[in-house]
Amino acid sequence: MNKYFNIARLSLKERLTYRGDFLFSSFLRFLPMITSILLWKSVYSSSEQESLSGFSFKQVIAYLLLVNISRMFSSMPGLATNLARDVREGSIKKYLLQPIDLIGYLMSYRIAHKAAYISTSLVPYMILFGSCASFFDTFPTPVGCAYFILSLMLAFVIGFYFEVCLGMLSFWILEVTSLLYVVTTLSFFLSGHLIPLDLLDTTGWLDVLKNLPFAYLAYFPAAVFLQKITDEELFFRFFVGVLWALFFFLLSKVILYFGLRKYSAYGA
Amino acid sequence: MLRHLRLMFCFAKFSLLGELAFRSNFLLKILVELIWLGILLTFFKTIFGKSSNVAGWNEHEFLFFVGAYYALEGFVETFFLENCVEFSELVRSGNLDFCLLKPIDPQFFITLRRVDWSTAPKILLGFIMISFAMYEIGKPLELWKVPLFLILFLCGCSLAYSFLLLLTSLSVWMIRNQSLMEVWWLFTNLMRYPRQIYDSEWALPIRMVFGFIIPALLAVSIPVEFAVKEINIEFTLFLFVIAIVYFQLSRMFFNYSLKYYRSASS
Amino acid sequence: MIVIKTNNLSKQFRVYEKPAGLIGSFKSLFNNKFKDIHAVENINLEIHQGEIVGFLGPNGAGKTTTLKMLSGLLFPTNGNATVLGYVPWERPIEFRKAFSLVMGQKSQLWWDLPASDSFELHKEIYKIDPVKFKKNVGELTEIFQVDNLLNKPVRELSLGERMKLELIASLLHDPKLLLLDEPTIGLDVVAQSAMHRCLYEFNQTRKITILLTSHYMRDVETLCSRILVISGGKMVYDGQLQGLKDEFGKEKLIKIQFKNLVPDQVFSKFEQLEITGGIVRLRVSKNDVPSVLAVVSQCEEVLDISIEDPPIEEVIEKLFVSHRSKTL
Repeated sequence: MNKYFNIARLSLKERLTYRGDFLFSSFLRFLPMITSILLWKSVYSSSEQESLSGFSFKQVIAYLLLVNISRMFSSMPGLATNLARDVREGSIKKYLLQPIDLIGYLMSYRIAHKAAYISTSLVPYMILFGSCASFFDTFPTPVGCAYFILSLMLAFVIGFYFEVCLGMLSFWILEVTSLLYVVTTLSFFLSGHLIPLDLLDTTGWLDVLKNLPFAYLAYFPAAVFLQKITDEELFFRFFVGVLWALFFFLLSKVILYFGLRKYSAYGA
Repeated sequence: MLRHLRLMFCFAKFSLLGELAFRSNFLLKILVELIWLGILLTFFKTIFGKSSNVAGWNEHEFLFFVGAYYALEGFVETFFLENCVEFSELVRSGNLDFCLLKPIDPQFFITLRRVDWSTAPKILLGFIMISFAMYEIGKPLELWKVPLFLILFLCGCSLAYSFLLLLTSLSVWMIRNQSLMEVWWLFTNLMRYPRQIYDSEWALPIRMVFGFIIPALLAVSIPVEFAVKEINIEFTLFLFVIAIVYFQLSRMFFNYSLKYYRSASS
Repeated sequence: MIVIKTNNLSKQFRVYEKPAGLIGSFKSLFNNKFKDIHAVENINLEIHQGEIVGFLGPNGAGKTTTLKMLSGLLFPTNGNATVLGYVPWERPIEFRKAFSLVMGQKSQLWWDLPASDSFELHKEIYKIDPVKFKKNVGELTEIFQVDNLLNKPVRELSLGERMKLELIASLLHDPKLLLLDEPTIGLDVVAQSAMHRCLYEFNQTRKITILLTSHYMRDVETLCSRILVISGGKMVYDGQLQGLKDEFGKEKLIKIQFKNLVPDQVFSKFEQLEITGGIVRLRVSKNDVPSVLAVVSQCEEVLDISIEDPPIEEVIEKLFVSHRSKTL
């Protein structure tokens, strides 16, 4: 554990080194939120309806705030790009020579990284949520909180293995980076980061969207917190989520296996 | 002037040649922009599926706005954004030295030397959206308004460019381009919707700061209001003047930062 | 004609210190400590047209800082300089058109494009007359022997090939002064020699003035008639390469080869660098050379004997050491 504590400490230090940045970015989180609040406020006031697709104005705002928490767990900055670079430059071999499991190593590194990131973001987020407390009408029960935490774990696991799979595509595709842009952009929308998925009911694609792995990266934890999912549906949702996690977990193992075989075949 | 146009043509030509060296990459980047447009339009459709107007803008007017915003964003991204982001890398690696040795204006060279062709289609698509919105509104734009709208649109672009340049200059002191992108994203956030959504009472500080001091709220709103809504003469003139003021201000600050770089770097 | 003239040129830097550790990082959020470093102190020099001058010194001695001041990139803290009749840091356009700076580790060419495209852009930026441009490209590609490389993307070239093209790019606008910072760094011996030949030829035909810094003594020995040595920001030597050797090369290296083993004890009163089998290598002061020869003449079966100057690296090393002990 000591080793991971050190990794965490180093990355916190790294963040503090650029002092301008640190003060900047904590302050910056607020403005976009205000813009969203104002935009939705004018949408709701001119629609003259209390709730749209089951979301009240306050709930939309609460949702948009909560999505940040989901993304804090599910986003994996640099994971796929670094992995792709390691594959391309051949430095992935250094992991293979050491007696550790590559994906396991990446996972523990990522957990330490996340812990450091979350702890440094804690204060600004607490201020953000504190000042927006009025948008939260109801707070989940202890059981609901447990579901929320579980859904965040699920978001982390799916996000992690999904990115690992993407990064390892570079065994076959030379330039994964621009492909990653495409996927990130799609995921920004499909995960419900921009807008609660329920509001897209007019498109008729809602059922599909909710079952895609993307939904678990942002929409699902927020919806769990806001109790937008009935108890009967909840277990089904978790079931689908775990299936996706398993799918990407196994897929990453398969890709790694075949990727390395291709590697050694080339003698790279 | 002619020389600078020739140079810009050269920058554009060689950037395109460079991009075409990696064709699939280039196409993927364009695909990303198209996906973004899809997202923007879906979002827009969703909102207007729920309500007939937003902050006093009806669907067609809003579409005009979205088109203008998209074109402005495309304009800045095509010509300036990549260069400005790269500036901190130039500072870090010391390659800025070479830019300063060239016998041309450093600001011109540094902020324009690469054209990002993958975002250029956004400008075109933005104007297609504008034309489509115009058609939907059913009332053609008066002829005399067209050049004035274009001038105001360029004022908006210039304002956005000046903000970007001010931020870029800061890289000399705090070397990291990530926060530059973050702040730039913040600006685009403020430009993305009509300024009327900030009319709430408690948003007054935002309206004052970003409407007058750092007038990001005006960059897209004012040109579009000029074209499809009532003309607000005071604000229109204000945008015109402040665009010039900011351009000069950012230029001064940029030169100051270069001066600092030249006395502090090793 | 004087190309470069400096008068007490000096430069100080302010270096910020960041305290170590996590608490230190927090502290530096609120205050920064700094200290001033004298990178260059009171440099006086005069360089004439057509000279090739070598600029030597260890890392951090102030070579690059001096070059940057001469090219107008840095403001000096003190002193003044005129380069080609201009004050460099005022950076008039005409001045920027009249010289070139090439740094060995940095590229000015567009990475993904063939060099000919970069040349074309260069032509526009420097407003080079099309006829002159064509003539220069032709001549330079011939001198540097690179006509087959012009249309390959730069990223596919070897370092040596790329450096040649960098140099061509920097010479297209007929600069009167060429500042080179470590131009041969990372190049293999063949590429280095090619570079030397080209620079020399160009200097001879165009009377271009060249000031170059280098780590490699070979560069300086083959190219430069005059050298400057800088240490700790101060100029410690300015003169002929031979003069440096004379002044500090008061020792000789002697190598003697015997048919059989080297006789015991014979050379024990001289400094012995190495004895292997039949070969002995000695370092002696110039005055002791006759006595070594006297000893050798009494030995039997001497196959070969050679007397050399110590390598220039060693001479300069001594110069730095003696300078440092003087300042301490």
